[in-house]
Amino acid sequence: MAIAERGYTHWPGSLEGGRRPWRVLEDFQEMLKGADKFLHINPAYFQAYYGSSFLIFMMLMIMVGSGSGLIADDLRHNSLPLYFSRPLRKRDYVGGKFGALAFFLLLLTLVPGILFILLKLLFAGSFAFLADYPWLPFSFIGWSVFISSFFSLYTLLLSSLGRNRRYAAILMVAAYFLSDVFFGIFYGIFHEPAFCLISVQMNLRQLSAAFLGAKPQFDVPWIYSFLVLSAVMVAAVLVLRRKIRVAEVIR
Amino acid sequence: MIPGGLAVRADKLGKWYGNVLGLSDVSIEIRPGITGLLGPNGAGKSTFMKLITGQLRPSIGTVTIDNQPVWNNPEIFRRVGFCPEQDAFYEDTTGREFLSGLLGLSGYSAAEVRDRSDRALAFVGLEDAADRLIRGYSRGMRQRLKISQAIAHEPDILILDEPLNGLDPLSKRKVIKLIKDYRTEGRTVLVSSHVLPEIEALTQSIVLVHQGKILAEGDIHYIRDLIDAHPHVVAVKTGDGRGLAAKFVGEADVLSVRFDETEGTVLFETRNRDRFFERLTRLAADEGLDVEEITSPDDNLQSVFDYLVGK
Repeated sequence: MAIAERGYTHWPGSLEGGRRPWRVLEDFQEMLKGADKFLHINPAYFQAYYGSSFLIFMMLMIMVGSGSGLIADDLRHNSLPLYFSRPLRKRDYVGGKFGALAFFLLLLTLVPGILFILLKLLFAGSFAFLADYPWLPFSFIGWSVFISSFFSLYTLLLSSLGRNRRYAAILMVAAYFLSDVFFGIFYGIFHEPAFCLISVQMNLRQLSAAFLGAKPQFDVPWIYSFLVLSAVMVAAVLVLRRKIRVAEVIR
Repeated sequence: MIPGGLAVRADKLGKWYGNVLGLSDVSIEIRPGITGLLGPNGAGKSTFMKLITGQLRPSIGTVTIDNQPVWNNPEIFRRVGFCPEQDAFYEDTTGREFLSGLLGLSGYSAAEVRDRSDRALAFVGLEDAADRLIRGYSRGMRQRLKISQAIAHEPDILILDEPLNGLDPLSKRKVIKLIKDYRTEGRTVLVSSHVLPEIEALTQSIVLVHQGKILAEGDIHYIRDLIDAHPHVVAVKTGDGRGLAAKFVGEADVLSVRFDETEGTVLFETRNRDRFFERLTRLAADEGLDVEEITSPDDNLQSVFDYLVGK
C-alpha cells in the first residue's frame, strides 16, 4: 500500500536500469491508451478524407491560386521563344510546370496519407494493421498520384487556352462548379445516377472510393469515371502539345 | 567545321504556312563574322530566323549548325544565342532576376549563374540598373537586356531578330557597338533588319531576302558589280565638267554622260566602274584635272535592293 508523505507517493515497484530511447514511445503509447478509438484507421477512414468535397475543393483553390497563370503568363509575355532558345524541350517545359503543381497537390494528398499510416503504426505498436490491409498503402499512393495528376493537367489545360490568367482561373472554377450544377439538375429531374459522370467532383469521389476499396456514392461502375477523367487528361496533353508552340504561326 | 567558328547551313530550305509560302528553296551558308539579313516586312526574314533557331520545323530541306540538325535538338542552344524581335519580359522582375532565370534553364550552377549574369549585364552596360524592375527600363535598356540573355552563355553563334527596331539613334549606336564588340575571332553573328542603313552600319556582308527567296548574298559591292542590267553611276564634281565629259565619251564602257548644272557635277553611266576610276585617276594625275569630289550614288544597299526587287 502506498504511503502519502508531504505530497510524495512512495511506489513499491523497482526501477529499471538504464533508459532506452524507445521507452519514450512506450510512454507515449501509455499516454494515448484509450485514444485508439480515434485512430481506428481503415479504408473507410482514408475514403472519408480522400473523397471529401472539402479536400477536392481545396485542391481546386490551390490550382486556381497558383496554377492559372503558369502558361497563360508565359504566353502573355511571349516568353516561350526565350525559354526554347535554351537547352529545353517541350516536355521539359510542361514537365516542370506539371511537377510544380503536382508537388503542392501531393502535399495535400500523399503526405497526409503517409502521416495517417505512420501514426497508426506508432500508436498500434505493431504492423497488424498493414497485414489486415496490405493493399491500402498502394491504394492511397495510387489515388494521390492520380488526383494530383488530374488537377495538374486540368490546370495546365485551362491555363494554356489564353493569355489572361484571370480567364483561366474563371474557367477552372466554372468548369468544376458548372459540371456539378448540371449533375444536380439532371439528377434531380431524372434520378439517374449515371449523370454523376458529367460532374468533375462526383467522378473524383466515385473513383476515390474504387481506389480505396470503399462503397461508391452512386451505383455506377468506377471504370466510367476513370475513363471520363482519363479523357480529360489525354485531352489536356493533346491541347498542350498544340498550344505550346515556340513560334507563333500567323497564317 | 570552319576553322575558328561554326557555320549555319540551310539546304533547300522551305516553309509553308498552309497555302502561304514563308520561305522557298533557300540554300545558304552563314560563316563567321557579322551577316545582315535584309528584306522588307513579310519577306521571310523572321521565318528564316525561326527555322535556323529551331523554333519552326522546316516543311522541306534541312538546317544544320556545325553539321548537327537544329530542329528538335535543344543541346545546340548551348552554342547558340537568340534574341527574339518582340519583348518577352515579366515586368515585375529585375534585370538580374530575368537573366538569372534564363541562365538557370541552361543548367548552370548558382555561382556560375551569378557570375555570368554579372558579366553579361556589364557587357551591355546595365550593371547599374540590374536590380531595378524591368517595367522601369527604357526601350533601349530592354533591347540591351534581351541581347544580354542571348550572349550570357557566350555562344559561338548569335542570332538577333530586328535588334535595332524602335530604338532612338543613341540606343541604336550602343546596340550596334555591342554587336560589333561581340563579333570576335570565329564568332558568327546574324542580324536581321528591314532598315537598310542599320545593316550598312553593321556589316558589308548581307543576305537579301524577298518574297521568301534569297535574292543575293555576299559583299554589297560585289553584289552591285554583278548587276549588269543597271550600269554604275559615278558623279564627279569638277570645275570643267564638259572637258572631263569629252575625255570619256569615246570610251566603250561609258554608256551615257549627263550634266547636273545645279550641283556642278557630271554623271557618268559605266559598265566597268574599276576601269572608269583607273582612267579618271590617271587623268587627274597626268593632266592636272581638277576633281573636287567623286561619289557613287547607286553604289549602296538601297540601290542594289531596288534593282534586285525590280523597283
